[in-house]
Amino acid sequence: MNAPAQRPNHDQPGHDQPGHDQPGHDQPSRTYLARLALALYPPSWRDRYADEVRVLLDDSGAGPAAIASLAWRALPAWMGPSAQLGDRPARIRSHLSTGLMAWSMLTGLGLVFAQLTELQSYRLAGHPLIGWSYAVFDVALLVSALTAGLGGLPLWLLMLRQARRDMRPGVIVCLLAPILAPAAWLAGAIMVSRLFGGPGGVSVAWFAVVAAAGFVLATAAATGPVLAMRGLRPRGPALHLAAKAGGVAAALMAVAAVAILVALTGLVLWVPGFPGHHHPAWPGVFLVLAAVAATVTVVSGTRGARAAHTQR
Amino acid sequence: MTEKLDRWADPPLLVLASLAAEPKHGYAITQDVAETMGVRLSPGTLYAVIARLEARGLIEPLEAEDRRRPYRITAAGAQVLSDQAERMSRVASLARDRLSTHPGLAFS
Repeated sequence: MNAPAQRPNHDQPGHDQPGHDQPGHDQPSRTYLARLALALYPPSWRDRYADEVRVLLDDSGAGPAAIASLAWRALPAWMGPSAQLGDRPARIRSHLSTGLMAWSMLTGLGLVFAQLTELQSYRLAGHPLIGWSYAVFDVALLVSALTAGLGGLPLWLLMLRQARRDMRPGVIVCLLAPILAPAAWLAGAIMVSRLFGGPGGVSVAWFAVVAAAGFVLATAAATGPVLAMRGLRPRGPALHLAAKAGGVAAALMAVAAVAILVALTGLVLWVPGFPGHHHPAWPGVFLVLAAVAATVTVVSGTRGARAAHTQR
Repeated sequence: MTEKLDRWADPPLLVLASLAAEPKHGYAITQDVAETMGVRLSPGTLYAVIARLEARGLIEPLEAEDRRRPYRITAAGAQVLSDQAERMSRVASLARDRLSTHPGLAFS
């Protein structure tokens, strides 16, 4: 059944050439390109098919054209997501992982927003719109964090027990990342504030350093449980509860993102004392980043909750 | 009708037809399709099709052998393939009949 192809027809509509290797084709570069192409796929798709595709690429000696086709096919894989994949717990874990990463980024952006606007007491005189937006943002962020934390706690405890039982110290460290990383950031921020802060707070440069460190540590805090989930592959009611809580937390973060949009737009348009009023490019970049993070958070949260809710 | 006529070359149909003979892994499918039907499926196309067919329950994965996971056609997949083959057969028969009534367009 594996006889070599005799009559390849590259002119057929809807089919593409695999771009077989030419003599001297560079195997390491092909492997690297294939890895890049596979990285474009949704995590759930990669979990399910990436190994098989790598083997196929090795077997067929596929070249750059096939790898380009593989990369191109990543787009519909995102559009028609992993609801197609059969392994439901893997699907839930995948959505949960993506959602957690995006949620962390959005939370980080929200905290930067709070620090740069709300805590600086920018308000629109005579109009409560910005104040309301701040209030909605505060409540949505707080309830979202509580929902994510409480809903994820049983899963976290389950994985911690499993990691301890299996004596996997690396996984335990990963699971402790959501506690260790924020604690490290808080300690660092307090130290910077005491050492380099004045009556008006720290300088812009130090604020940028602290904010950048916050994003790095937020990524670490989210990556830890994601890696633990990849290693332990949990399933069952705790996973389902975490996914459903993730859906609620994502929806609340979407509300917070809308509040950010309203408040920031109001500040840029109507508050001359706000720096972004004169330089709207930075708020624009910030809003684009927040919109991307919110979209990924909501899409992954919804898909994860739906996968946990449905029987299939 | 045009849509149906075009469907003979659909990658999902080619994969189902290939798996109708016996379970195969990805590379074996591409080889079989290329050899018997003259169509090359790229890895991207093949695995997009496999994901779709698997989701619809038309094929199912078997235990992986040395990282190569074979797939086999399910009863539902065989039914879909059979229905489609029947449709294509009717179209082919119709095309032959009608072409034979036009001496200038007759084919061998």
